[in-house]
Amino acid sequence: MFVTLEEAKKLIEKGSILHIAADECLLEQLPKGNWIAGTTPYFITENGGTTCKDKLFINEIIDAVECKTVFYDKENIFDITKDAYSNGLSLLVMPFASDVAMFYAKEAPNEDHLLLTPIVGWISGFDLSTDGCAKVYDGTTGLSHTNKAVALHVCLPDDKLASLGIVNIFSTNPNDAKIEFVEDALSVKQCLVNGKEVFFADYIAENKIDTRLPLVADYNSVLINVSIKAISEENKTVDFYAPVFSGKEYYFASHVSDYAASFTAHLKDFKDIKPVFSCNCVLNYLYGELDGKATPPFAGPVTFGEIAYQLLNQTLVYAEIIDK
Amino acid sequence: MAEDLTLKLEKLIKGQAKYQSDNLGLNLLISRVQRKYAASRKPSELISCLEEIKAFLKKYSSITANDVEALKKL
Repeated sequence: MFVTLEEAKKLIEKGSILHIAADECLLEQLPKGNWIAGTTPYFITENGGTTCKDKLFINEIIDAVECKTVFYDKENIFDITKDAYSNGLSLLVMPFASDVAMFYAKEAPNEDHLLLTPIVGWISGFDLSTDGCAKVYDGTTGLSHTNKAVALHVCLPDDKLASLGIVNIFSTNPNDAKIEFVEDALSVKQCLVNGKEVFFADYIAENKIDTRLPLVADYNSVLINVSIKAISEENKTVDFYAPVFSGKEYYFASHVSDYAASFTAHLKDFKDIKPVFSCNCVLNYLYGELDGKATPPFAGPVTFGEIAYQLLNQTLVYAEIIDK
Repeated sequence: MAEDLTLKLEKLIKGQAKYQSDNLGLNLLISRVQRKYAASRKPSELISCLEEIKAFLKKYSSITANDVEALKKL
């Protein structure tokens, strides 16, 4: 729900268990309570995408039996699986470009037993037209951090279960060039294109590849995107928002002519979902010109990275709580 | 868990069989254990991968019953 500051305060004072996304100036004014939050001024509400600094997006977790909040840094982020309830949902928010976010991005897919814990969340951000900084908040203490992650661990009743899903509008053409990397990395120089070693930056430039399109890898039928963050033709480096992994085959996503129409088409398969949380990527919001356009049944913050177990890019993620 | 399922899961982990679920977590897990096993191909790794996938199926037994039945037929 997209609410005013006063409405948010009332929910907190009622004792509700909340996940909140909003601009920093609003989050600083919230009273202590059972909530965590991250910064963003971008949202896709039930009425459409919007940039807004005077309302907060709130998910109320009404099925929770109990909850706890924990800050994590790079050294202990994977304690999240130990801290999580055995039957629960863990909402995780990490600041953009923080050490903990970069560490989690690279290591989560290799972490034993991570997939036994439903971890969903996002990378907090800031107004791209300003020099803002991304923050996360723990409402139980009122503390905020720019370099720590915060998790809201929710314990669910025995007859409920958390389930995670994603919506990825991108697809690949298997006839396109196959791209492979020799190591797990957030930044690369070389890659293999159809088995031939090349400078990736040169390959992108020579082939006039639209870098708004992500690299896509197939994880047992789940298409996982890696978005390009920056290219340095001088240093011949290509930086990513999430790591590429050795042993995976990547293809550049096929062109999407109309993002909003593509989302609408993909969302037909999800109309019966009742998400307790969802978020969508700022790159989808910007490249897809989703301002004013809704993505039912999903509404939530527009984010600088999405988490469904591992860090994802240019993807809508959601969590639902279902009957066992 | 039945021995026949164990044998099917071993085939899956070794990349000798394919299975696609509707469950995001299970698909990511299959991809993960296949990559992990392919990197070492050690018996100890196979056991570790088996334990992880069995733990997942046990934890989510209420929503993976159809997956388990389909996996037995691999």
